[in-house]
Amino acid sequence: MTTVTATARTTQTRPTAARLPRYARYTALTVAALATGFPFYAMLVIALKPPTAVIELPGSLWPWPLTTETIRTALAGGEIARWTLNSVIYSAGSTVVIVALASLAGYAFAKKRFAGRDTIFWSIVSMMMIPYHLTLVPLFILVAQAGGINTYWGLIVPTLANVHALFLMRQFIMGIPDEIIDAARVDGAGELRIYWSLVLPLVRPIVATVGLFMFLWHWNDFLWPLVVGQSEDMRTLTVGVAGLRQQETLLPMEMAGVALAFLPIMAVYVVAQRHFLQAAMMSGMKG
Amino acid sequence: MSTTQRSAPPPSNVAHRAGVLLRRREARIAYAFILPYVSLFLLFRIVPAAGSIALSFADYSLAGRFSWVGLDHYERLGSDPLVGEALVVTAVYTVIAVPLIVVSSLGMALLIRRPTRGVKFFRSVFFLPVMTSLVFAGVIWRWIYADNGAINSLLDGIGLSSVSWLSSGTLVLPVLASVATWARFGFDMLIFLAALLSVPAELEEAARVDGARWWQVFRYVVLPHLRPALFFVLVIETVHSFQVFDVIYVMTAGGPVRSSTTLVFLLYQRGFEFFEFGYAAAIGVVLFVITIAVAIVQGRFFGRSRT
Repeated sequence: MTTVTATARTTQTRPTAARLPRYARYTALTVAALATGFPFYAMLVIALKPPTAVIELPGSLWPWPLTTETIRTALAGGEIARWTLNSVIYSAGSTVVIVALASLAGYAFAKKRFAGRDTIFWSIVSMMMIPYHLTLVPLFILVAQAGGINTYWGLIVPTLANVHALFLMRQFIMGIPDEIIDAARVDGAGELRIYWSLVLPLVRPIVATVGLFMFLWHWNDFLWPLVVGQSEDMRTLTVGVAGLRQQETLLPMEMAGVALAFLPIMAVYVVAQRHFLQAAMMSGMKG
Repeated sequence: MSTTQRSAPPPSNVAHRAGVLLRRREARIAYAFILPYVSLFLLFRIVPAAGSIALSFADYSLAGRFSWVGLDHYERLGSDPLVGEALVVTAVYTVIAVPLIVVSSLGMALLIRRPTRGVKFFRSVFFLPVMTSLVFAGVIWRWIYADNGAINSLLDGIGLSSVSWLSSGTLVLPVLASVATWARFGFDMLIFLAALLSVPAELEEAARVDGARWWQVFRYVVLPHLRPALFFVLVIETVHSFQVFDVIYVMTAGGPVRSSTTLVFLLYQRGFEFFEFGYAAAIGVVLFVITIAVAIVQGRFFGRSRT
């Protein structure tokens, strides 16, 4: 008896009182998705208009006719190609070294016994609390005094000791059973050999995730490249695109610049979305 | 060799000494492995952080002239109207942006939490802005909010008068907060989604069966489980809002006049446009102290009450 009345009541109340009706949820989600996606859509459509096109709404948002003329002009200017190269060097260079240093140190912190191990590790992690902006001015002076302004190493080297990367590496490497490492040692493998051909392959998923996250972070980084890469040909894409305003650039050209800067990230996102979500979650949870 | 040592019964003197040597070797290797990371960390994180505090009591020029000035910079901070304005701008911006971000991300998480068709699609779309550089986003949004931009031409189209979003001292901070919301909610939504997994379905079902309305279910069943996530999101979004820079640099350059000159933007201007390194360092120290203080207050507030 009781069960019957209970189910009767649920079916009666659930759709109206307890839950938002399905169509309302979908409407809300669709509106939010349109609002979120609109800037991307508008950017792409405007970037695919002729360079001198006058942009009027809503007419100009019609994706027809489209031309790659603006994008080709933007690329032919040489500036954007140069900025892209700088961004690639900054992002890829930093990422490779960060992953190498963090995995090497992370392995030691996870699997080796030495005096002060945990004290050193947790001191480093707690330094995450220091905001970037506190260190900005002295960091700039340090790099400037060493002659690092407008150089690639000046851009890259100060970002190499990454706390997020170290933390994630150590946590993951701790999950490797000690027996595997001991077995390799018994078989006569050297320490670097164990790191390189045993530990690293075992943590490949986290290497991919950390690498992706580091690449993305550097690709999007702005403040540091802004103060270090001051000359025209040392700008990264973010600094270059931000500076387009000062030259009274036409809107389609501006959007073409943004599109070119954003499309590589977009392409990787489509391919490796799972890693992106994971990377962002882990970085955020730890930061 | 090592295998025989292992199986040999312990503390013979030789085995003990071998163990000590092995452990020393292990430590040496470990120090070698952490050395590159730790030295870079010391040089580029610890030295500048300490240097920032030292520099805030000194004057320094790019030519290399250094002199102690005691509390001069802090006295100037106290009486500088620019700093007062920047503090107000930062506070107002944070008060607008943080609730906006928290409410929209939580709302979206609640909307897409049930496994329905298209969830993946919506999640990807909402996450897209998270990966976008705020510089690129800022360029697009600058056009959207421009005097002859997207929103105003739509307003024109339906016969409303246009609004000068970015050149109005009162509207500029809400506009920037809306861009921050767009950029951030997808990320916080994922955190809320993860937290929502911890809500026992039976409990919610039971509440419903007992006739609770949706907001009662939310308030008494769902919300208590979201507490840690809510705290986390609140803290990181507050810190983010204190430190907003890229989008301001691109969209308003701190203007109109100084209506969007936040503390970090002021730090940038003082340090890298006027090259007042010591003063900029002092602003950095103030920013650091405020950030820590607010985090502690939020911790108290959220850490204690209820549950």
